Amino acid sequence: MEFTFLFSQFMSGLTYGLMLFLVASGLSLIFGVMNILNFAHATLWLIGAYICFTFWSLMEAHQFALWVSIPLAALATAATGWVCEVVLIKRIYKRELHEQLLITYAMALIFGDLIKIVWGPTDRLIVRPSIIQKPLFLFGAPIDSYFIFVILIGVAVAVGLWWFLKYTKYGHIVKAAVYSREMVGALGIPIPKIYTWVFTLGIFIAGLAGGVQSAIGSVTLGMDMNIIIQAFCVVVIGGFGSLMGTLVGSLIVGEVFSFAILYWPDGAMVLIFVITAMILIVKPWGLFGTPLRA
Amino acid sequence: MDKKYIFIKRFWLPVALFFIAIILPFVVSEFWVHVFNEILILGLFAAAFNLVFGYMGQLSFGQAAYYGIGAYTTGLLMVKLQWPLFACLPVSMLTAGIGALILGYFCVKLRGIYFAILTMAFGQLVFFIIFQWYSFTGGDNGLQGINPPEWLFKAIPYYYFSLAVVTIGMIILYFITESPFGYTLRAIRDNTERTEFIGINVQRYMLINFVISGMFCGLAGALWGPFNRSVAPDLCGWQHSGHPVFMAVMGGPHHFLGPMIGSVIFTFLNAFVTGFTEYWPLVSGLVIIVVVLVMPGGVFGIIKEKGYFSPRDVGDVKNE
Repeated sequence: MEFTFLFSQFMSGLTYGLMLFLVASGLSLIFGVMNILNFAHATLWLIGAYICFTFWSLMEAHQFALWVSIPLAALATAATGWVCEVVLIKRIYKRELHEQLLITYAMALIFGDLIKIVWGPTDRLIVRPSIIQKPLFLFGAPIDSYFIFVILIGVAVAVGLWWFLKYTKYGHIVKAAVYSREMVGALGIPIPKIYTWVFTLGIFIAGLAGGVQSAIGSVTLGMDMNIIIQAFCVVVIGGFGSLMGTLVGSLIVGEVFSFAILYWPDGAMVLIFVITAMILIVKPWGLFGTPLRA
Repeated sequence: MDKKYIFIKRFWLPVALFFIAIILPFVVSEFWVHVFNEILILGLFAAAFNLVFGYMGQLSFGQAAYYGIGAYTTGLLMVKLQWPLFACLPVSMLTAGIGALILGYFCVKLRGIYFAILTMAFGQLVFFIIFQWYSFTGGDNGLQGINPPEWLFKAIPYYYFSLAVVTIGMIILYFITESPFGYTLRAIRDNTERTEFIGINVQRYMLINFVISGMFCGLAGALWGPFNRSVAPDLCGWQHSGHPVFMAVMGGPHHFLGPMIGSVIFTFLNAFVTGFTEYWPLVSGLVIIVVVLVMPGGVFGIIKEKGYFSPRDVGDVKNE
C-alpha cells in the first residue's frame, strides 16, 4: 500500500477521532463533575447538526453561511442543554443511579423523536462554501480540506479545556468538585450553579461538534446511536473524568476505526469493543483513570 | 402465625394472576390476546433482568443482548434447520447463557455506573455483530418466517404456550431468589465488602447470577421470535435494554412480581399509544420522567407505603 493512501486514511482517522473527542469530552466532563451519565449527549450533538443545517439553509446564498451557523448551532444547543439541566437534571442530583440513567435515557428518546417531528426523516446535506470544496494535497496525498478545519477545532477545544481546567478559577473549582463535592460546597461555592454551567458547557461542546459534523457528510437520523456507543468506549478506554484519557481514547478509536474499515469493514466496530475489553482487563479504570469513587 | 396462612398470604397474588391469565382469552378479543402474550414475554424478560438489578443491586443496561441472542438462536434454528420449537428453547437459553458468561466475565469486575456502561457497550457489540453479519443473520432485514408449529399457529394456543413457559420460568426464578444463592445476592447488594469478608467470592456469584439472568432473558427472546414471526436486530439495541429497567422501576424492583406488573403497565400503554401515534418513544420518555420523579418506589412501593402489605408478605426483597 502506498504512503499517500495510508496518510490520507490516517488524516481521516484523526478527523474522526477528534470528532469523537468533542462528543466524549463533554460526556466525560459532565460525568466527572456531576456523576451523571448523559445518554442524551449524542442526541443533543445530532440536534446541533440539524440546527446548524437550519441556520445554514436560512443564509444559503452567502459564502459565510456555514461559518456563522456553526457557532449559532453551538449556542442554541447549549441553551437546550441549559433548559434540560434546570428543568430535569436538577431534580435528580441526589437520586439513585438507575433513576438518573432512566431520566437521561428518557431525554434521548424524547429528543430523538423531536428531531423526527421537526426535521423529518429525509437526509439533510449542507453545500460547502467553495473554499473547502476542493481537496488539499499534503505530502502528495489528497486530504479533504474541511478535515483541516475539524482537526483545528478539535485541537482548539482540547487546548481550551486544558487551559480552562489548569489556569482559571472556575477550572480549579470544577477540578476540585470532581474530587469532593462536599468540601467544595463547604467552602461556600454554590455547587448547583457549578453543575448547571458544567452541564451547559458539555452540551455546548456537543452542539459545536454537531455543527462541525453537519458539513462533513449528510445529517441523518440515527447517527447519534453510533457515536454515543463509541464515545462510551472512548471514556472507558481513557478513564472517566480524565481529559487526557478522553483525547488518547478518541484518537485510538478514530484511527483503529479508520484503518479497520479498509481491511475488514464489517468488523471495525467489533474490533473497537475488543480493544475496550482488553484495556479493561489490564487497567480496569482505563488508561488514565483513577479507581472508583463510590 | 399458622404456616398455611403465611403460605396463602405469600402466594395469593401470583396464583390469582395466573388464573386471571388463564381466563383472559375467553373474555377479550384476539388483539388483546396478542398484547397479553407480549406482556408475558416481556415480563419474563424484566423478571430475569431484575435478578441482576433488584436482587444483586447492579444496573445492567444491556440485557437486550441476551434476549436478542435467544431470539436469533431460535429464529436461525427454525428457519435454517427447521428445528422444532421445543428443542429451540433450551438451546436458546444455552447460547444466551454462553454469551452472558463471556461478556459478563468482564462486567462483574466493575460496579455501579461502570457496570451499567460496560453492559450497555457489550449489548451494543452484540447488536453490531448481528446487524452487520448479513450472510448469517440477515443484517438489518432480520429473519422472517419464523413460524411456530401448526397447533400453536393461532394467537390463543400460542398464548397458552407462552403462559406455560413463562410460568415455569417464573417459578424457577422464584426458587432461585429464595435459595441461599438468592440471599447471597441480597447480601452482595446490601454490603459487598462485608459479604467478601465472610469468605464469599463476590465476583463468582455475580457472574453466575449474570449468566442465569442472561439465560432467562434468552428464554424470553426465544418465545418472542415465533410470536412475532420474525426477529430484527433492534431486539438487541440499547433502547430495548431500557425497557426492562423501566418495567422493573415502574412495578417495583424490590418485589418479585414488580417487573411483571411493570410489564403489564408498559405494554398496555404501548398498545394503547401506538394505536394513534407513531411517536411512542416520545410518549414513553415522558412517562418515564413522570414515573421517576413522582413514584420512585414503583407500584409496589406505593402499595407498601399505604400499608396494604407488611414487608414480608409477598416475598419482598428489602427488609428481609
